Amino acid sequence: MAQLSLRGIKKSFRNVDVLHGIDLEIGDREFVVFVGPSGCGKSTLLRLIAGLDPMSGGDFLLNGKRMNDVPPSRRGIAMVFQSYALYPHMDVYENMAFGARLMGLDKAEVEARIAEAARMLRLEPLLLRKPRELSGGQRQRVAIGRALVRKPQVFLLDEPLSNLDAALRSDVRLEIARLHRQIGGTMIYVTHDQVEAMTLADKIVVMNAGRIEQVGSPRDLYETPANTFVATFIGSPRMTLVDVKCEGGRLVLPEGGSVHVGALPQVSELKLGLRSDAVKLDREAGGEGFAGQVVYTEYLGDNAYVYVRLADGTLLAARTGPDDLFEPDHMVTVSVEPGSVHLFSAEDGRRLVP
Amino acid sequence: MPQLRMTGRGLWITVLIVPPLAFVALFIVYPIFSAFAYAFFDWQGLRRGDFIGMENFHAVLFVEPYRSWTLNAFKNNVVVFFALMVLQNGLGFLLAYALWRELPGARFHRIAVFLPVVLSTIIVAYLFKLFLHPLFGVVNISLRGLGLGELAQPWLGQSNTALWSLIVAQAWHMVGFPTLVFLAGMQRIPGEILDAVRMETESEWVKITKIVWPLVAPSATIVFTLLFVGAFNWFELPYIMAGLDGSPFGSTDVLGLYFYRTAFGNVSSGQQNFGLGSALAVLIFIFIALVATVITVRLRAREIQL
Repeated sequence: MAQLSLRGIKKSFRNVDVLHGIDLEIGDREFVVFVGPSGCGKSTLLRLIAGLDPMSGGDFLLNGKRMNDVPPSRRGIAMVFQSYALYPHMDVYENMAFGARLMGLDKAEVEARIAEAARMLRLEPLLLRKPRELSGGQRQRVAIGRALVRKPQVFLLDEPLSNLDAALRSDVRLEIARLHRQIGGTMIYVTHDQVEAMTLADKIVVMNAGRIEQVGSPRDLYETPANTFVATFIGSPRMTLVDVKCEGGRLVLPEGGSVHVGALPQVSELKLGLRSDAVKLDREAGGEGFAGQVVYTEYLGDNAYVYVRLADGTLLAARTGPDDLFEPDHMVTVSVEPGSVHLFSAEDGRRLVP
Repeated sequence: MPQLRMTGRGLWITVLIVPPLAFVALFIVYPIFSAFAYAFFDWQGLRRGDFIGMENFHAVLFVEPYRSWTLNAFKNNVVVFFALMVLQNGLGFLLAYALWRELPGARFHRIAVFLPVVLSTIIVAYLFKLFLHPLFGVVNISLRGLGLGELAQPWLGQSNTALWSLIVAQAWHMVGFPTLVFLAGMQRIPGEILDAVRMETESEWVKITKIVWPLVAPSATIVFTLLFVGAFNWFELPYIMAGLDGSPFGSTDVLGLYFYRTAFGNVSSGQQNFGLGSALAVLIFIFIALVATVITVRLRAREIQL
C-alpha cells in the first residue's frame, strides 16, 4: 500500500520560487509520470518526495503519515538516478547488497532478494562486475535492481532513459512497464519526453514553470487538454494553434478563409487547436476552408507530414498519406474535421466548451 | 639515415632543456652519487683516506654508540610518521569533509586551513618555540590564566613532551595540504552518488567509511607517500625548535639531525665524519626509496576510477 498526498508543496532556492504550491494525490500501484519542459520543477518535486531537499512549504503524506521531517532512508522510497549513481568501487552484487544490509536484513534475506532482482533484470552473469565494466543499459538495470532489493513502497525514477541511445531507450521503456506490472509498486517517473510519458503512465502530471497544468490519463490529456500549454506539449507533431474570429457561426482567419466546426462558445475571438490528423489538404486553392501555402513535407514511410503556412503566418502540420506529395510553394486549401478540433480562450488559453 | 640537422623548434627545446638538466645533474645527481662513493671511504676531516668497503655501514648499524643513536633516531622517525599519519592526515580528512559539506564558515576556513602551509618552516618553528616557552609562552600563560597552572610545563625541555610538541607544530603547519588534496578528491565524487547513499542511510559514519573514503583513496596515495618521505627526511622544524642534538637527551633526535651532526659536526660533539654521515645518508635514501615505492605500488592497485 502506498498512498501519496502532496499538499501545497512549495520550494524556493534563496528567493527564487521554483514550485508554487503543488497539490497532488497519487494512488497505490499507480504509474505516475511528471512531464514538462526543462526547468519546470519536475525533478525538484521528485527530490522533495525523496527527501533529498527540504521543502519550503506544504506537507507530504505517505499513507497518511507526515513525511516532511523523515530522512530519505526511512521513507520507504527508492530512487533511480539519471546518471544511475552506482557506487564505482563496488561490484554489481555489492551495489545491490549495500542498501539492503543497511536496512538490517539478515544475510539469507539479502541474498534471496538480490537473486530475485538479478533474475528479473537478467543481471546474473554480471554480478561480479564493476560498474565501469558495464554498458549503459546494464548500468541502468543495476540501478533499478538496487532499488528493487529494498522493496520500497514507492519508486522514483529521474529521467532514467536520457543517457541511453535511441534504440535501447524503447527496450528499457518496455522493461520498466513490464517491471511495474510484475512488482506492482507505486512508481513516479520524471521525463521531458512526452512519448515516454504517454506510453508508460497511468497518470500524467504536466508541469510548467513550477505549477501543475493538468493531471490525467494519457488519453484525457491528448483528447481534452485543459489549456494550450498541455495541448501543444502532448502529441507529435505539436498541435497548431490558430487565432481566429467567430463570425456568424464560422471561424474566420482574416483574409485567409474560414471554417465551420459546429457549435461555438459565446466569444468573439478564440484559439483554434488543430492536430495534424484533424485537417485535410485540398490541392484546389480557394475552396471551403483556410488558404495556405506548402512549406515542406516530412516523409516518414507510413505517412507524411505537410507543413503549410496560413495567411497570418501560422505554420500548420497536416498528416497525409505517404504517396500524397505536395510540392513546396503550392497553394492549398485546409479543411477541418468539425468533431476533432480544440477551442481555447484567446485571453488565457483555457479550454472552451461550447 | 636519421635527420640530425637542428631545426628551429629543436633548437628551442635544446636551449630550454639543457640548462636545467645541467643544473640538476651538477647539484642533485652528482652529489647523490658522490655520497654513495664517500660512504665507502675512511675520512680524516675533509681528506679522503683509504677505501674501506662496507665498514662505515657496519659502524652506523652495529657499533656502539652509533648503533643506539641510529636506532633512537629511527624510532623517533617512526613515531613521527605514525603520529602525523593520524594528526595531519586524519585531521586533514575530517577537515576536508567538513569543508566539503559546506558547514557554516566553510569559505573562511578553506583559506584559514591552508594558510599555514604557505608560511616558511623557519617562521612556524620559531613561532611555536615562542608559544611553548616555559615562562612567557602563550601556551603556559593561557593554561595558568584558565586556572590549569599545574598543566603548564617546559614543553620543549623534557623528554616526554618535546617530540610531541614538535609533532603538533608540524601537523599545524602542514594539515592544510592533505585537507586540500582530500577536498579535491571529494569534490570529484558525483552529487548523485551522494544522493544515492542518502536514500539508503543517514549515518555519516557509513557514508564516510563505505563511500567517501574509498572514493578519495586515490588522493590518499600521494598524501601518504609524501608524508612518509617528509617524516623520514624531517629536519628543519626539529633543527630550529630542538637544536642539532635532538635535545633533551636525544628525545627529539631524528635521522635528518643525526646525519647532519655526524657528517658536518656540531659545536657540542666536535666530531665530524663524512664517511659515517654518507653511509647514513645512503641508508636513509635506500630505505625511503624502497618503502615509498612499495606504498605507491600497493595503494595504486586499490585506486578506483570514477
